[in-house]
Amino acid sequence: MAVAAVHSGGIAEHIHPEPQGFVRRYVFSLDHKIIGIQYIITAFVFFMLSGLLAEAIRTQLLNPNGGFVAPGTYNEVYSVHGSAMVWLVIIPLLTGGFGNLVFPLQIGARDVAFPWLNMLSFWIFPVAGLMLFSSFLMGAPTAGWMEYPPISLQGAAGTSMWCAAIFLVGVSSTITGINFVVTILKMRAPGMTFTRMPLFVWGQFATAPLLMIATTALAAALAALFIERQFGVPFFDPTKGGSPVMWQHMFWFYSHPAVYIMILPAFGIISEVLPTFARKPVFGYKLIAFSSMAIALLGFMVWAHHMFTSGLAPFLQLPFMILTYIIGVPTGIKIFSWTATLFGGKIHYSTAMLFAIGFIGLFTIGGITGIFLAAIPFDLHVHGTYFIVAHLHYVLVGGSLMGVFAGMYYWFPKMSGRLLNETLGKIHFWLFFIGFNCTFLPMHWLGMLGMPREVATYDPQFTFWNRFESVASYLMTFAILIFFVNVLWSIRNGRRSGPNPWGARTLEWQIPSPPHYYNFKHIPTVYGLPYDFSQPLPYKGLEEELTDSPPPVAAGVH
Amino acid sequence: MSVAAIGADAHGHVDQLYVETRELRLQGFLLFLISDCVLFSSFIFAYLYLRNSGQGWPPPGIQRLDVAFAAWNSVVLFGSGATMHYALENFKHGNFMKYMRFLLATIVLGAGFLGGQAYEYNHLIFGEHVTWWGSGIFGASFFTLTGMHGLHVFLGVCYLTVLVLQSAAGVYTKGKFFGITAGTLYWHFVDVIWVVLFSIFYLI
Repeated sequence: MAVAAVHSGGIAEHIHPEPQGFVRRYVFSLDHKIIGIQYIITAFVFFMLSGLLAEAIRTQLLNPNGGFVAPGTYNEVYSVHGSAMVWLVIIPLLTGGFGNLVFPLQIGARDVAFPWLNMLSFWIFPVAGLMLFSSFLMGAPTAGWMEYPPISLQGAAGTSMWCAAIFLVGVSSTITGINFVVTILKMRAPGMTFTRMPLFVWGQFATAPLLMIATTALAAALAALFIERQFGVPFFDPTKGGSPVMWQHMFWFYSHPAVYIMILPAFGIISEVLPTFARKPVFGYKLIAFSSMAIALLGFMVWAHHMFTSGLAPFLQLPFMILTYIIGVPTGIKIFSWTATLFGGKIHYSTAMLFAIGFIGLFTIGGITGIFLAAIPFDLHVHGTYFIVAHLHYVLVGGSLMGVFAGMYYWFPKMSGRLLNETLGKIHFWLFFIGFNCTFLPMHWLGMLGMPREVATYDPQFTFWNRFESVASYLMTFAILIFFVNVLWSIRNGRRSGPNPWGARTLEWQIPSPPHYYNFKHIPTVYGLPYDFSQPLPYKGLEEELTDSPPPVAAGVH
Repeated sequence: MSVAAIGADAHGHVDQLYVETRELRLQGFLLFLISDCVLFSSFIFAYLYLRNSGQGWPPPGIQRLDVAFAAWNSVVLFGSGATMHYALENFKHGNFMKYMRFLLATIVLGAGFLGGQAYEYNHLIFGEHVTWWGSGIFGASFFTLTGMHGLHVFLGVCYLTVLVLQSAAGVYTKGKFFGITAGTLYWHFVDVIWVVLFSIFYLI
């Protein structure tokens, strides 16, 4: 399909009637922008809750003997912290949140393909989140976010609640994935060929199939664990012939692609922010776009590198090691392309840009330690230690979360019509950046010295660095509080942004902030890439968007 | 009789919004089937993994499954796939009564398959004392996978029954019949899953 299949009189021109009343407009909204904002707010609420759990972990680790919470409670705390951060914060923020908010605007669509499914998908998510946190009331899961059997089989009733909650989040993700794939395939504005799509759209286009396919594989594992716990049907219990290693296969077959679900949209955000603030065409547009697809594909073939200590046959371990190295190639291509985008650019150090540049550095550290871990001998040495904790936080916080913050500072004007305060933003960035590195960098050497993860106490020789990390983590939390203050203050008092405060060139910036419920008065026609800063805008049909001309007439039924 | 254009009304005017909405729903539905397929694949992986975990198959104390009965039951299900195909084709060509007869035949065959499965479960549980939770990995994998498939057939039968009622009420026209297309795709999907399940549980 060379040109998007949209014709006048069809779905592209279709407009929902303007929503009437508070409930239809802001609660049970069909509008992708409102749903995106709903996702973002809900995910940030869960982010605060699981951030508190993280601080409970760090407070416990101030002393070698702990003492802040009981060891059993500590297990519950880190298990729910990990699960909530992955499934209730990062994935919903990047896919349901920024995905919904931005990419339909960027492809020149009036909404996603299935607005009702979109609403359903959102409303499953807070219910599932409350279920996950309610597991504390009945004995939360204690086997980490991976919930390996047999510990997860022995866990309290909350482990079954965990299964149900994650299953529901999975249903929500699957629906979102299907919705996004169809939207990107079918709803692009005329002239927006695949190789003219903004890179954030490419990020979502690579992620959505992962959401759709990998999440269902996890659903099977969760269903099996739930059935085994509730009805005693043996899948994973080795005393009844089941296999705990099978859980690891089923879990990581989802959870390794899930790592890319959590980073590919962030790659997309970075690929939008960098060229905008460097005032340069993005370097290697096609390389960045296609390497996302390569990562998505290869992501399905590397899951067993999480299982080198699980007794996998050596002839199986080697291909997984090599494939994992190969996945470093498309990732490296991206890093080099971004660096080349910055090279010689007229860089404007806005807060969004600071987060994007910080992302490149921190994600590179996380990515390189990932290559370390792919090497079987090294992995055997550090498996189950704080080295893993350091690696995954460099990828998920230094990567995904920095991407989220870059996206927040970049697209907040599009959500609210007001800019976030730049001074507070820069304080937020620097405190967060320093706090983050001081928290997680020492974990690398603590792990190499053999400090095990997921244990409530530790050897007194590690006391200094643990206290250092805990204090730094408070700094990080303080930085995030500044961010929340900034958002709450700016939403009422921020400087008005106008339609395009950054001089960006993608379609969402060519319409008012916040956009009307119908997005575009006329569906634009696209003539080229959005990153050629020296050229006129490659769109036609946008003349009336910023004028007072009447809105398009609602037509058709849905 | 000829096949009408998709989205055309009785006067031959094509409803462009319907045509494109149908296209979206068709793709969305196919993607849903793909993700459902992954759900089955995961359980099939689990079954094959457990089967090859070195305890021999079937595990000690459990009889091999009765291939002959399941083979006849499979014929019933595959037959329903054929009748569903003819139902859709007849609808497209405007043979409404033939369509209804083939659709009803599909429902009867689908229900017959479920009856056969119930008979088989009954025989296993009460005749050979093989249960979901008490027969180790054999019971776990067999009842979970065939039960999941049976649930899909049951939901399909319910959906086709709704199709009959809707068709009788005149919901579907010569140009607008996405519900029937989706039902047909779903029914073929359930058939194909059974081909795999029959092979891996009864034949190998």
